Amino acid sequence: MDVEKTTKEILKEKAVPEKHTPLYNPEALKGIEQEFDRWKNTVVREQDRENWGVTPHTILGSEIPRELLYTPLSNPEFDYIEESGFSGEKPFTRGIHPNMYRGRVFTMRQIFGAGSPEQVNQRIKFLLEHGATGTNWALDLATVQMFDSDEPEAQGQVATVGVPIDCVEDMEIICKDIPIDKVSASIITHYPRNTAIVFPMYLVLAERRGIPWDKLPGSVQNDFIMESLVRSASEYIPPKDDFRVQCDNIEFIRKNVPLWNYVTLNGYNLREWGTSGITEMAVAVANAIETLKDMIKRGHDVDWVAERLAFFWAPANDFFEEVSRLRAVRRLWYKIMRCRFEAKNPRSMWMRCHVQTSGISLTREEPMNNVVRAAYQALAAVLGGAQSLHVDSYDEAYSVPSEEASLLSLRTQQIIEAETAVTQVVDPLGGSFYVEALTNEIEKRILDEVDEIEKMGGIVEVVTNGWLHNKVTRAIQREQKMVADGDIKVVGRNYFRAPDLKMPDVWVHEYDESIREAMKAKLASLRMRRDNEKASNCLNALKEACKQGGNVMEYTLECARADCTEGEMRRAFVEAFGLWKTPIYV
Amino acid sequence: MADKEKKIKVLLAQFPLETHSRGIITVAGMLRDAGMEVVLMGNARSEQIIEAAIQESVDVVGISTYCGGELALGSELLNVAKEKGIKDQVVFLLGGIFPPKDAPKLQEIGFAATFPPSATKEEIVSRIDSAVAAKR
Repeated sequence: MDVEKTTKEILKEKAVPEKHTPLYNPEALKGIEQEFDRWKNTVVREQDRENWGVTPHTILGSEIPRELLYTPLSNPEFDYIEESGFSGEKPFTRGIHPNMYRGRVFTMRQIFGAGSPEQVNQRIKFLLEHGATGTNWALDLATVQMFDSDEPEAQGQVATVGVPIDCVEDMEIICKDIPIDKVSASIITHYPRNTAIVFPMYLVLAERRGIPWDKLPGSVQNDFIMESLVRSASEYIPPKDDFRVQCDNIEFIRKNVPLWNYVTLNGYNLREWGTSGITEMAVAVANAIETLKDMIKRGHDVDWVAERLAFFWAPANDFFEEVSRLRAVRRLWYKIMRCRFEAKNPRSMWMRCHVQTSGISLTREEPMNNVVRAAYQALAAVLGGAQSLHVDSYDEAYSVPSEEASLLSLRTQQIIEAETAVTQVVDPLGGSFYVEALTNEIEKRILDEVDEIEKMGGIVEVVTNGWLHNKVTRAIQREQKMVADGDIKVVGRNYFRAPDLKMPDVWVHEYDESIREAMKAKLASLRMRRDNEKASNCLNALKEACKQGGNVMEYTLECARADCTEGEMRRAFVEAFGLWKTPIYV
Repeated sequence: MADKEKKIKVLLAQFPLETHSRGIITVAGMLRDAGMEVVLMGNARSEQIIEAAIQESVDVVGISTYCGGELALGSELLNVAKEKGIKDQVVFLLGGIFPPKDAPKLQEIGFAATFPPSATKEEIVSRIDSAVAAKR
């Protein structure tokens, strides 16, 4: 049996330029080298010469050493057409669209959603009246973890950090009077299972309103890394089954809801949990590769699947690293799609991404400092060519953001867009000796980590055997020590900490127990009204499909049509797949 | 006397629907480095947490919370602890993201101390040391 080649091996073979045309002529390089040596040995101070490569220690940084000065010698073989090209063309380093933000500015997609379905409906209407073009709903913890509002576990958690959705009726309330065939909805179902459960409720809502599914615009997240690795939970299903649900969802949505984005490969939450920007991207890319392989095995054309893949990244504090990361992963993704999967459609080769600034880099001390941190991170995302952006609010170390803090986040985006003029020129840092060298180094390191994962058996395997959990756990503990020891400087916390530091009075979200009571009453009434025999048959059919094969979303859809609740469907999955214990050791 | 020499044993847990675990993993590392024995339980219901605390005969139960509901769930936890007779023997702590004004209320219902996200290893360890010494 042939041993399957890794992505790195395939790229090494196939991603070679037809014609290598270095930008710098050898004579010029030789002259630069002589001058560089002279300058370095006579002008540069000895101590700087000795510490030429310095490794920046930053929150969630990659620890790539940096030279004091970058020159053409940093990348002497630089081939402009092969490495950079033009925006909107291969290898997409400079951006996926020719005109980038001149054509369409980055989408300002701020999350919202704490409150009851009724309150969230009002909030959506308010936002649409004030110019929002899409919505981005956060789900409450019970909904994220797939529990009904009336289960004992949901005590204290209903409607606190998002909106509760137990059944189709809640969808109907959230979307009341909203033209769902026109307004794109980003429904933040992080996990494959809650995507399989909650998204069909949206489809049933459309059916009941007579809106054809092929008119629905929007996205779900649907990432098994979130469910099996990043989240904490009281119950997990085995990662291989979770991965299958992820792929079932993609297949079903691609076939039946053509405008819908069916997967957002989420590096963000993994990085925020505690990894470097390299691992963040390597894991998401490895998941994307394994997903496409699975789809091809199911008989689908790679372009049919890949053209709507999207990624989600977290920019942290190391400014140039963040700009370079987006450029690097864009080029890597192009190479993977062209050489590894032989995609034909240029859209399949686009690394489209949503970016959210880093929450973990924010501090409770002097929270207004967070406004500055988030603004730099947002600027890095824009200079890196992100498609859409959420800016974290300064009060996140205290609570779900207040209205005032959310508005300031939106204002941060608008100031970047309208006042700084950075959106007028595509990839403005392209061509910087430094940024190009860093882009190359980051691309190489991401591919090396993808290779490491593939050699261990692939992304599902490294999640199942705990390798990835424990890689992250070690990184979390190491970073905490670096902050405690002052190796990573955090202004206001361990660096220039105010001697008389006081925590300010920050508005915090209040828990309203009455929302849970209303949700419980609604569920009780639903269980009286619906055809319980039909509901139970649908749940049994879902269980069988999980065990026997068959696309699970076809069955969760029938469950939603029969007004089954989220918790009921969660239990069907658990009964079919069994429980899995997460392999975390500390 | 012998009791005072014994390694302090800590159970770390989260309420059932908590999704974040960076805090609990960080604290587990800090306490282990400080020479304590750490049992990382993860997400569990109040009865399960108290049951585990009894079985493992821990000195301390630490709860990590990020997503609200800490007053309701914290009260429930301490009520179960009281019913099972360990409320006064075991030190209960809570850390994470919660409204600062809830800190006094949490202490009133029985948490010996609460820690915000910026708490240091030294603060947490010394608070545990003194609270456990007072109970032993």
